[in-house]
Amino acid sequence: MDRLDLLREAARKVLDSGQVEGVLALRADHGGTVPHLFHPGDDLSDLALWPKFPLPRTVDMLLSSHPEARLGIVVRGCDERGLIEMAKRHQVDLARLTLIGLACTAEEVAYCPCTRPYPNEIAVGEAVEGVEHVLAAEQARLSLAERMAFWRRQFAKCFKCYGCRNVCPQCFCEQCTLEDDLWVERGVLAPPFPSFHLIRALHTVGKCIGCHECELSCPADIPLTILYTLLRQDAQEMFGYEPGASLEDKPPLVVAGVT
Amino acid sequence: MSEDFEPRIIGFLCNWCSYAGADAAGTSRLPYPPNIRIVRVMCSGRVSPELVLRTFREGADGVLVLGCHIGDCHYTDGNHRTAKRIPILRKLLSYVGIEPERLRLEWVSSSEAQRFAQVVSEFTETVRRLGPLELKGGA
Ligand code: SF4
Ligand code: SF4
Ligand code: FES
Repeated sequence: MDRLDLLREAARKVLDSGQVEGVLALRADHGGTVPHLFHPGDDLSDLALWPKFPLPRTVDMLLSSHPEARLGIVVRGCDERGLIEMAKRHQVDLARLTLIGLACTAEEVAYCPCTRPYPNEIAVGEAVEGVEHVLAAEQARLSLAERMAFWRRQFAKCFKCYGCRNVCPQCFCEQCTLEDDLWVERGVLAPPFPSFHLIRALHTVGKCIGCHECELSCPADIPLTILYTLLRQDAQEMFGYEPGASLEDKPPLVVAGVT
Repeated sequence: MSEDFEPRIIGFLCNWCSYAGADAAGTSRLPYPPNIRIVRVMCSGRVSPELVLRTFREGADGVLVLGCHIGDCHYTDGNHRTAKRIPILRKLLSYVGIEPERLRLEWVSSSEAQRFAQVVSEFTETVRRLGPLELKGGA
């Protein structure tokens, strides 16, 4: 059986267990994929794997609108880490979820460089090694002037579609700083350097679990995850914090205590 | 960089320690460079990264954040946040090509007038050496 069949089988098992109202997964749609809630008894032949899409916020929405429901959800490593960070901030109740862990393939990992491309518990697939973010590592070798020139050029392409924020499983604030006129002027394109992008980058600290969805969805092809990856490495070094690693670790920037 | 460049420096000083320290420097007639313009905040924890970025955008060449020593914050742990945010922000500034030395965090108590004057003098010289920060223009 191939990986997709195994995933369908795993989803079927959870659906048949009687423990859940449905399983959130991806469904093939017009050559792409969309989040879909499969119900017990549903035909699973259009349950799909790729292209990946983050499901944590969709499941959050479903759990909120159906306060009694228990759901299954297919999680890749990044989805699981995302759920853990969300749970810490009281966005999802993990007790109401049954996770179906999916390990990414080496091919998939090449598409979105990830240091830990598998969840804690793997139901389908086999763990492959993570890879470093090559572009982020290369940045370190640039001079300050080269970095400024590079990011000015990149940020100048932004037309503030807010896609990076909207797709991010870690962006769930009710009021977004990126929409606050005081910090990011409305109606100004591109956002004046270095407002929008540095604010967003800072807000990923202690949260960004490296799913790369922001960059994948950016219509202007801005390599956003370079900055987020560098900051994630810094937070690891400075505070020993790794987003999504455990439910117990407290996000460093919002709790008291200095190291 | 022109010889007579006078850096524009904004200092965010917490009300309870550092502002009092600056005040003490004034009453003791300790000399320090006039480049700093002081903004009093209730706690160094009030100085959000957004505020620092905006200050740079408004034309500051350097931003100095001064607060109570760890353990002395009037709000117990406001400065714990500052102690973590500012170093991260300095990293990020460097990633987009802004010298992290343009942003500095120090703890200055109300009795440290001398230290206040020294920090401001040192920081002003650091920023003077770096030259003006050009954020506007260019694509
Ligand atoms: S990689 Fe992008 S979309 Fe994913 S968590 Fe980090 S900031 Fe959010
Ligand atoms: S997705 Fe890209 S273009 Fe859209 S707001 Fe984010 S950075 Fe700008
Ligand atoms: S009151 Fe001085 S740093 Fe908080």
